Amino acid sequence: MSEAGGRPVRRMFGPGTTIADLKAYMGPFAERLGYKFNTDEAFVNDVLEAELEILEQTGDVFCPCRVRSGDPKEDVAVICPCIPFWRDQFAGLRKCWCGLFILNEVEDGLELLGVIEEPQGPVEVPVCRVTDLPSGQIRHVKVGKRDIAIAHVGDDFYALSNLCRHAFGPLGEGFMDGHHVMCPWHGWRYDVRDGTTDHPNADVKTYEVRVRDGDIFVVV
Amino acid sequence: MAIKVYALSTCPYCRMTRRYLDENGVEYDVTEVDLLEGEEKEAAVAEVKRISGGASFPVVIIGDEVIVGFNKARIKELLSL
Repeated sequence: MSEAGGRPVRRMFGPGTTIADLKAYMGPFAERLGYKFNTDEAFVNDVLEAELEILEQTGDVFCPCRVRSGDPKEDVAVICPCIPFWRDQFAGLRKCWCGLFILNEVEDGLELLGVIEEPQGPVEVPVCRVTDLPSGQIRHVKVGKRDIAIAHVGDDFYALSNLCRHAFGPLGEGFMDGHHVMCPWHGWRYDVRDGTTDHPNADVKTYEVRVRDGDIFVVV
Repeated sequence: MAIKVYALSTCPYCRMTRRYLDENGVEYDVTEVDLLEGEEKEAAVAEVKRISGGASFPVVIIGDEVIVGFNKARIKELLSL
């Protein structure tokens, strides 16, 4: 453990880390986020090889395609896999910055290589797996700067702002009661289908949800 | 025509871009931003953000055109390769 910027820094990988080690750790994590390794194995190995060089120089597996600021709080968003920090951009690109990871449904990852311009307009952002959200539960997900609560009721999924309009309590940690979520802080109730509440002028924003191949997507 | 490339020494797209330019005998000036230090690095990062609007690499400048990422088709077109 060393000190950087006054904060203790703990390292996940030590000397002797191999490409196989990185794959074994990153693959299952990316899968929970709706992504898989690029279909082009030679490209994947190239990127991971570059990450191993960076690991040796810096002590962590920073993205080979992004520049680091030197501020650990900022650079945490470019430690691979950095998908949770860039969900909306990557959903638009259908890949991460490097193209190391691509959306589960992309068949030919090579087609996407080189594409960096971010598309405009609404994008479907994968947020979690259906199996990670049993019926009757709600959870918070971060999509870019947005905080969204995803609820599962019966066979349907709903997405609404995570922030209660009363005192900004986290609805994603609230209690589900049929189609309603009760804020964990003071009990304000919202209908997860349309974001409405009995309190005047306090409805919350809702988002379209799509489910495909076991992944839950929010349209933002 | 002056060609400028901002790259990271570790980035696979940057390597692919440079390899493509090299293979076609194109002369270019390259700055490997991650190998710079201190003020020089800050200035280069600021320049990349100003030119490209982001912090993605490589940034290839051909005349008035700015290409972000490895866009072989666009490079080929602009340089008539």
